[in-house]
Amino acid sequence: MIAPASSPKLPSSSFIDPKALMSIRNLELRARVVVEGFWSGIHRSPYHGFSAEFTEYRQYTPDDDLRHLDWRVFARTDRFFIKKFEDETNLRCHLLADQSRSMSYGSVGYTKAEYATTLAATLAYFIYLQGDAVGLLTFDEQVREYLPARHRTGHLRHLMLALEKPAAGRATDVGAPLKRIVELVRKRGLMVLISDFLAPLDRLDQNLSALAACGHEVLIIQVLDPAELNFDFKHPAVFEDVESGRTLFIDPGSARKEYLRKMEVHREALRAMCQRLGISWQSLATDHGLDLALFDFLRERMQRRNRAQRFSRVRHMQSKALA
Amino acid sequence: MSFLTPLFLLGAAAVGLPVLFHLIRRTNRERNVFSSLMFLLASPPRLTRRTRIEHLLLLLLRCAVICLLAFGFARPFLKQAMTAPAASTGKRVVLLVDASASMRRANLWSDARDTVDSVLRHAAPGDQISLYTFDRQLHPLFTFDQWRAAPAGERSALLSRKLAETSPSWSSTHLGSALIQAAELLADAAGKAQGSQGRIELITDLQEGSHLEQLQGYEWPKGIEVAIDVLKPLSASNAALQLAADSDDSDAKAAGTVRVRVTNSPGSKREQFKVGWALSDKPVFADKPIDIYVPAGQSRVLAVPIVPAGAWDHILLQGDDEMFDNLVFARPPEAVRLNVMYLGHDTETNPKQALYFLERAFQETRHQKVGVTARRPDELVPVADVQGSCLFVVTAALSQESAKALRDQVVAGKTLLIAPTAPDMQLTLRQLLAVDNLSFEEVRPANYALLSEIDFRHPIFASFADPRFSDFTKIHFWKYSRLNAAGIPGAHVLARFDSGDPALLEVLVGAGRVLILTSSWQPDSSQLALSSKFVPLLYSILESSGAPAPRPAQYRIGDVVPLETLAGTASSPAAVRLPDGSQVRLPAGEKNFSQTDLPGVYTLTTDTLNKSFVVNLDPSESRTATLPVDELERLGVPAFRLAKPGSIEAERKTRFQNAELENRQKLWRWFIAGTLVVLLWESWLAGRTARRLAASANMAPG
Repeated sequence: MIAPASSPKLPSSSFIDPKALMSIRNLELRARVVVEGFWSGIHRSPYHGFSAEFTEYRQYTPDDDLRHLDWRVFARTDRFFIKKFEDETNLRCHLLADQSRSMSYGSVGYTKAEYATTLAATLAYFIYLQGDAVGLLTFDEQVREYLPARHRTGHLRHLMLALEKPAAGRATDVGAPLKRIVELVRKRGLMVLISDFLAPLDRLDQNLSALAACGHEVLIIQVLDPAELNFDFKHPAVFEDVESGRTLFIDPGSARKEYLRKMEVHREALRAMCQRLGISWQSLATDHGLDLALFDFLRERMQRRNRAQRFSRVRHMQSKALA
Repeated sequence: MSFLTPLFLLGAAAVGLPVLFHLIRRTNRERNVFSSLMFLLASPPRLTRRTRIEHLLLLLLRCAVICLLAFGFARPFLKQAMTAPAASTGKRVVLLVDASASMRRANLWSDARDTVDSVLRHAAPGDQISLYTFDRQLHPLFTFDQWRAAPAGERSALLSRKLAETSPSWSSTHLGSALIQAAELLADAAGKAQGSQGRIELITDLQEGSHLEQLQGYEWPKGIEVAIDVLKPLSASNAALQLAADSDDSDAKAAGTVRVRVTNSPGSKREQFKVGWALSDKPVFADKPIDIYVPAGQSRVLAVPIVPAGAWDHILLQGDDEMFDNLVFARPPEAVRLNVMYLGHDTETNPKQALYFLERAFQETRHQKVGVTARRPDELVPVADVQGSCLFVVTAALSQESAKALRDQVVAGKTLLIAPTAPDMQLTLRQLLAVDNLSFEEVRPANYALLSEIDFRHPIFASFADPRFSDFTKIHFWKYSRLNAAGIPGAHVLARFDSGDPALLEVLVGAGRVLILTSSWQPDSSQLALSSKFVPLLYSILESSGAPAPRPAQYRIGDVVPLETLAGTASSPAAVRLPDGSQVRLPAGEKNFSQTDLPGVYTLTTDTLNKSFVVNLDPSESRTATLPVDELERLGVPAFRLAKPGSIEAERKTRFQNAELENRQKLWRWFIAGTLVVLLWESWLAGRTARRLAASANMAPG
């Protein structure tokens, strides 16, 4: 295999060298290395419960529990309002890891699948350390492994084992696992979908929107090899599709430009879809440090949380003004 | 250097392929596994930018392999090797030109002359050429001696003029005998001049009817080849008219007709014809013709009514392209009259007596009328009657005068059959045979006697020799006369009874003979008259008695006509008038007439009568379809088609010679061997280069 030159666009500014990290055979240990130094934080629950922190008022509708009526507001305004509080619960996170054949490609010494597995393990470990429930669903063209989100002793161990199972599938079909997860997970939570998304995006839109409609917070992490991003092969050769086995004679000199254009169009289409559906999207090259990936994840989460807090604050002020 | 299959040289153009492949960017065998080809399109191979050819020697070797292979497959040969022996001493060439009747077809004779001229033009200066034509026989027109005797510059012109003076005859084609004679001529000449080869250049239409049967048993002399120039007629259509074999039946309906056969050649394009009597000298029907439909390759027999008018002497076929065989001359058959004299006491109407059966045995036919004259044995027979009879049958004792007169006739050459019905024949037999001691006594066997020990080799019984007809045991003899054959000098027993007594004896008397049947055919003596053997036996006796055979309805060109058949023995023939009007005088005592060279009506004139006979074309001459040359080869003649220069056949011949030459030289082997050597060299060099490249790649950093 001809190794492409490493991408100049994505310099690795990580504290942990991904290559060195990948040389650690134990997945849990790899996750632990990455997560080291991060302190557990508090995640806001997407569920509105009745706890200490008030979030908003809602107009009373019949069948609402009368216990939650704000009688004071009723006294002042002569209208019924239900008082809502922010439920401070544990995070329920599901990691959806693509283990199709296309993920077995890698030009930097390890494959995309290894990188994605490590990333999933890191996130799982991190979330577990925070005391939140974490679940796993691995898939190729169909769902392979499913572990519901839990936080109990030994669960992380099961999760690591499930992640370490070798992939058997050929093709990628993101649609099937998304449908399945919608059926399986009724409670809202965080869905982290890790895949290369090197497949037509026709039905992805529909499935993602179904997932988002269920109230889940969805985060998409697209894992790509630097060679896939740059296509910096030097010599013409016969290229074999790792999934279908189809071969093509490719002269990179003449094919690169068109390839990059098509790849960019594809990525842009995915990004635009995510934006439209309110889904977070992150693209990671496999030479990108995993600690940085974790950092990006947290930053994304923070931004999202801030957005949510701002939104809830505005709503709170509105309700206060109403009160 | 020439090439047998020069098109293979185009394969040498493939020499550009290694160069092109060298310039095309190599589609290397490296395989890159890639995650997805969904964003990739196949790249076409393209010319590399580099112009410098690497491994020049390797490239040259590969080009050389292709060139050598192309040359090898093109089958090269050297022409000089063939032409060298050809320029040796001259050959003896016999130009054998078909001059049969079938050469009278539209263009054939002129084509034959042109071919002869062409052969003369292309003859080598040292060649000796003679010219012969043939039909039934070989006719020398210009012999080797004449060729040698003539001035060198005028030989061809003389020979050509000789051919121009002649024209095709009406005879049939006897190609076999002509070839044998020409081969023997050449073989004799070769025997005289040591080492010289001979060739027969046969110029013919090679028709199916060219009698080749004589070649079957002939061993063709070595060193004599036959080049055949088959002349092609303009039209393959030919229909012919022939007289059909005439039957002997006395049917009144058939008696008034002449039966002709119309045959149509296999390749003919015409099918509708008209047949009818025509006037002499004019190809116009004298009466309404009969329409006849004959498909190609078939024949039909047609009965043409005989017209009494004398001017109409031939039947014409109209609707055919080739006229040479569309005429047939016909004369109504003329019956031969024969007389059998019966001497006995019998009456004609008594069915228990011998005469009754004898008269009924000889039936009248179209060609033969046999009359039976019955006389009493004791009366004197007129001399004219005796002389006019060819067979005498005696069943009773004769008077002395009659016996003497008969003996004189027998001595002169007539045949006498004695079949005694009474035992008083002893004296008559003594007189007729001029034997003194002759015992003759009647025998009546207990049951019956049978014929045995029959001499089937004798002409009388020869027709019964076939086992199907040789059973005489159904004929029972109730009584017979025992004759002492040993007492008769010159007696030859032709058949005996089962008791050993002679049944039929032949005694030669003077120029004639006496046949003695010791029994009789009348019913109280035997069953002979009632058996199926009786009539044939009588006709056998009549034929052996020297009676003139029935005259054939026609003769063929070249046939010898026996004059006695026509004129009889009484008158001596004087002259024959030919169909063209000329007259041929016959020398005294001439028995045969052989100048039947023209088809038509011939008239024989004797001092007393005029008899006419017709001569027609040989039917085999009408079989004009062309024979394959292979047929001659099958008969052992080393024949090949003579090719005109520039013609397709000439090219084919040249190709054949080239192929033979190439086959002899086999230069292609050297090219293939060279290819193998170069291939080995190339393999070694390629291997070495690959090893070096691999070594240098391994030594390279990274």
